[in-house]
Amino acid sequence: MMKFLKEYLVPRLIQYFFVVFLGLTLVFFVPRLLPQDPIREIVGQFQQHGAGLDAKTVETMVATFRELFGLSGSWHEQYWSFWKRIIRFDFGPSFFRFPTPVSELLLRFLPWTLWIMLTSTFLAWLLGNIIGGIAGYFPGRRWSRLLDVFSVAVRPIPYYTFGLILLIFFAYTWRLFPLGGGVSVGRSITFSVASLIDILRHSFLPMLTLLVLNGVGWYHQMKLLVQNVKGEDFVRYAKAGGVKPWWVISQYVLRNAMLPQVTGLALAIGQSYSAAIIVEIVFSYPGVGTLLYEAIARADYNLIMGIAAVSILTVSTLVLIVDLIYPLLDPRVRYR
Amino acid sequence: MFWRNYDYKLTLGVFFLLSLLVLALLSFFSPYDPVKWLQVQRDLPPSWPHILGTNSKGQDVFWEATFAIRNSLIIALIAASVSRIIALVVGFVAGHKGGTVDRMAMSLTDGILVLPLIMMLVLVASIMKGKLELWGLGILLAFFGWPWDARTIRAQVLSLRERDFTKTSILSGKGTLAIVFGEYFPHITPLLFSTVLNNMTWSISSEITLAVLGLNRLEVPTLGTMLYWAIRRQALLLGYWWWVFTPVALTIILLIGLYFVSIGLCESGNLTLSRK
Amino acid sequence: MRIGRLFVILLVGMVLGCWCAAAFAQPREQTLIHDMLGSVVGTPDDFNTWAGWRWPHRGLHQYCLEPLWIAEPATGEILPLLAKEWPPSYNKDFTKMTIRLQEGIAWNDGVPFTADDIVFTVELHKNTPELLMHGPIAEYVKEIRKLDDYTVEIELSKPNSRFHAYLLDRWGALRPMPKHVFEKIEDPVKFSFNPPIGTGPYKLHSYDPSGYWTTWVKREDWDKSATGKLYGEPKPVYITARDFASEEARILALMTGELDMAFLSVEGMKAAMKAPHVRTWRREWPWNCNIDPFVPGIVFNNLKQPYSIKEVRWALALAINIEEFMSVAVDFMAPVSPIHLPPVPAYEKAYFGPMLEWLRDFELDLGNGEKFKPFDTEVPFKLAEAAKKRGYPVPDAPEAIRSIFGVGWWKYAPDIAEKLLKKHGFYKDEFGRWRLPDGTLWTIQLLSTSDPGTFEHRTMLGAADQWRKFGIGVETWTPVGFITLNLLGEFDVSTTWTALEPWGAGVDLYRTLWPFHSSQVRPIGEYVANAPGGAARWSDPRMDDIIGRMEAVDISDEETTVTLGLEALKILVEEMPTVPIYGGIAFLAWSETYWTNYPGAENLYPNPWHWWPNFKLALPFLKPAKE
Repeated sequence: MMKFLKEYLVPRLIQYFFVVFLGLTLVFFVPRLLPQDPIREIVGQFQQHGAGLDAKTVETMVATFRELFGLSGSWHEQYWSFWKRIIRFDFGPSFFRFPTPVSELLLRFLPWTLWIMLTSTFLAWLLGNIIGGIAGYFPGRRWSRLLDVFSVAVRPIPYYTFGLILLIFFAYTWRLFPLGGGVSVGRSITFSVASLIDILRHSFLPMLTLLVLNGVGWYHQMKLLVQNVKGEDFVRYAKAGGVKPWWVISQYVLRNAMLPQVTGLALAIGQSYSAAIIVEIVFSYPGVGTLLYEAIARADYNLIMGIAAVSILTVSTLVLIVDLIYPLLDPRVRYR
Repeated sequence: MFWRNYDYKLTLGVFFLLSLLVLALLSFFSPYDPVKWLQVQRDLPPSWPHILGTNSKGQDVFWEATFAIRNSLIIALIAASVSRIIALVVGFVAGHKGGTVDRMAMSLTDGILVLPLIMMLVLVASIMKGKLELWGLGILLAFFGWPWDARTIRAQVLSLRERDFTKTSILSGKGTLAIVFGEYFPHITPLLFSTVLNNMTWSISSEITLAVLGLNRLEVPTLGTMLYWAIRRQALLLGYWWWVFTPVALTIILLIGLYFVSIGLCESGNLTLSRK
Repeated sequence: MRIGRLFVILLVGMVLGCWCAAAFAQPREQTLIHDMLGSVVGTPDDFNTWAGWRWPHRGLHQYCLEPLWIAEPATGEILPLLAKEWPPSYNKDFTKMTIRLQEGIAWNDGVPFTADDIVFTVELHKNTPELLMHGPIAEYVKEIRKLDDYTVEIELSKPNSRFHAYLLDRWGALRPMPKHVFEKIEDPVKFSFNPPIGTGPYKLHSYDPSGYWTTWVKREDWDKSATGKLYGEPKPVYITARDFASEEARILALMTGELDMAFLSVEGMKAAMKAPHVRTWRREWPWNCNIDPFVPGIVFNNLKQPYSIKEVRWALALAINIEEFMSVAVDFMAPVSPIHLPPVPAYEKAYFGPMLEWLRDFELDLGNGEKFKPFDTEVPFKLAEAAKKRGYPVPDAPEAIRSIFGVGWWKYAPDIAEKLLKKHGFYKDEFGRWRLPDGTLWTIQLLSTSDPGTFEHRTMLGAADQWRKFGIGVETWTPVGFITLNLLGEFDVSTTWTALEPWGAGVDLYRTLWPFHSSQVRPIGEYVANAPGGAARWSDPRMDDIIGRMEAVDISDEETTVTLGLEALKILVEEMPTVPIYGGIAFLAWSETYWTNYPGAENLYPNPWHWWPNFKLALPFLKPAKE
């Protein structure tokens, strides 16, 4: 057990802190390496609302901004105060939604993103792998080849386009699902079946988009893997021993091939997150993606920085969790 | 069972890519300037002489597409070549030196791999909004696009290092550079080529994502900006399917081509692309 | 196979389960749903619109708050709401103003609205520098007195015949605050004013904490609101203002009846019209609503070379082929305007008529005794021809063509533009590219917004296309700090509104002209007060003189007001500090599934824009489609 701690857990934790450190440092430095002064670019936001803000408020906001990006003081001072803010989860006010603090917005929008992203990532992984595994076991069947053609053709479709096509068919032509939003207009979230169904109904299409486009990736990988595993001795013996094919697939092939895919899942989380952000925009889904889209359109740098920082924290934490779950599934890691 | 026949895939992939390359080269003979508007009648469905119809900007979709393919390929190639240099250096150093250097290099690459890269791209692109030239976008993508391939190359170098011929060279006192270029490079080349293709796929998809968010120079036609204009001008809902269909179809053909060639290369080079 | 079947059953079950749920919480046929201009509400739980930008157009200023007077661009009139009459009475030297108030009005919590509320509002603003309207109130108000429960008198610290402008609603004004709410509050700036207490016919029902929708419900005592008292019972029981992240979703929502009213792009409108129940402001082509009082066009930075030269500005205007420009910018669906006013009802007779006479004979001096008449009355007919070629059902009657395409614009005269430029030493090189007098290549940096759906962005596309075709290099520039750069003057040529939006009602042009006063011009790098007009950084002693004379004229003296206005408009044409191109438009699409009798072109009772505070006046006239 000590060995497991030392060889598995501790390096993972070190890597986690390293990744968070690296990512946030990048968030800190990237705007600084660019030739433009971000403050210059955003001051217009205050003036745009013309009468909207008086000089004093503008100054306070610019000060917050300067402090956050540390554009006053030396680099190491700036960097230090940046970390202090991160630890306090204080990213200053949003310019676009002044005076709402960025942290409050993130707490409001992030759960929605996590919900569609986590569910669809897991389902895509599960279904993609299972279907890929079965198709890999029967590569010659017609449905398997049809699936191949489908997956090769679907995989390169941009997320936005695919989402839009689903939106048009499912929400407009067939009117099975609502056009957008997180819940029905005028309804607030309660702990009831009706509310749950309402949430499911609204998140179905964004999830389906993510599920299909992420799932085909897993499908491909799993299919290749299974084609390799299939040739291995234990499978051949099982087959020769008259074990039924479905039993072979579920007990021998999938089990052995899916385990390594768990680590792949960890690496895919970053990508799924990016995809969720784009898909949310198509469906006006009240998650981080829509928030980011607004923030970009209105040059709300505080908000963009906050979203970037929180995204890095979220994604790396999720990856850590998957990494920590892995040994529970794979005994070889635990007792190595 | 042609789907399992990798040579067939390779041939098909090469055919796709070559056709697109020809299309890209055709842009040099375009009768239209891609920046100018109202050069042809607008919103025409496909017919001679506008074989892919015209768009709401008054441009011929076919000729616009030739520029889009060209520019997307330019971005992808810049991104791929610059990121290749980083990936090669990191991969060789980590694989060849091993030990602490290896561990440090790998945690850096793993670190970047885990980051939601789109956030990084958005962060830079939103500050540079409207001033990001093709090469700028290429370098930006290169900056974040190398870690996956550095890993792959490192794994390959690691396995090569253990082989007899390399050990012999090392023992015979050859310099590091000589070993890298003499012993590793020839064995890495097919793999390198395949990572180039995978990286191009990633760059093209990322460019489209940034364009959909409106962060590219929108007057420069690329696959992403072409799609952006079509979506923003409601081509889908107005029934101008040819305008949406063209960039989407070209993207699919391009990415399938890259995918097939990359698997084909791996198989023919007898290398398995190690994805972790 | 069992696993596969299980999945199918699971999927079907999920689809069915989801499908059964209802989409709306309120009875749909009693609810009016419209979209939000711009974006989602940023401060969903804060309604204190006096302290900052609080998304007033989410229904707050349409349904909950009421002003003293409101400018009504649809009819060109100014209407009293909480005030009893228009205009307010001033004393002879414009140092005292008396306002009489409507009686029998109550706030939506039942407390009566009286003179005390007005006195409180003005005094609070005078004493609180953080409130938005503090500036003008502190500058002009010496004292405010209550004469009786329904009459107040404001004593001004200096004569001003146009002080009421700050209380007159044109998409914003100082609207009365409820005294009984604010007097209990320690800090009126941090106060969130939730729920909002207004005199309007609706009160807050519920809102989305993420800001995607806000729902209002009709007051039981709606007859105690000024709108209800003057115009009758508003018809919808609920009104929801809802935002969608993408235009696609908005169009589809309109087509499925999830949305009743939307403001779309020209393409979006054309897509939405495919649904038989969706109507546009005009039922026939060009469908657009062309009475929005603003004028998009090109803004030169008059403090920058070579745009400080009048002939250069004129040359750039004459290098524009208006047919192509209008095609790129608005798909032909807007009336062109050669002057710095939109062709809306209020200005047609007073200004467009007399100006047209003058424009016909207006001449440009090309030097060496040559003259050129740049105005082209044929432009509307050329535009009609081009639109017809595009396949639009354009009417043939000249009157109809003029009302759709405007009175005329400048000739497309690249040869004259060339002469004007050569006069100042500009020349074309062997590749046909224009060079500045010092020999460097001429590249215009053309500033605009980054959102391609906006009128500014489309102006940029059109102008860039035209100038490139003329041989000038154009570098388009769409930074996020668009407004800042306009205000700071750090650009060559920009695409914001060409003049400050006029009232759209009455004949007074003071609001449009004052940004051109020399006292308003700031050097590059310092903020001007307003981007429209102000960004041009142009002034002229003749203009200063006109503005000065205007300030001493009574608002009711229309004749003098119009004479001065015409003089100013002529100077603006001669000098061309900004190039007005077309009258402001909006592409509106309304679904008639649940509501009818919208204020369309054939039935224009009030202003038809659901994001304007005027929209409260339309509510009593809407009719439910299903009864």
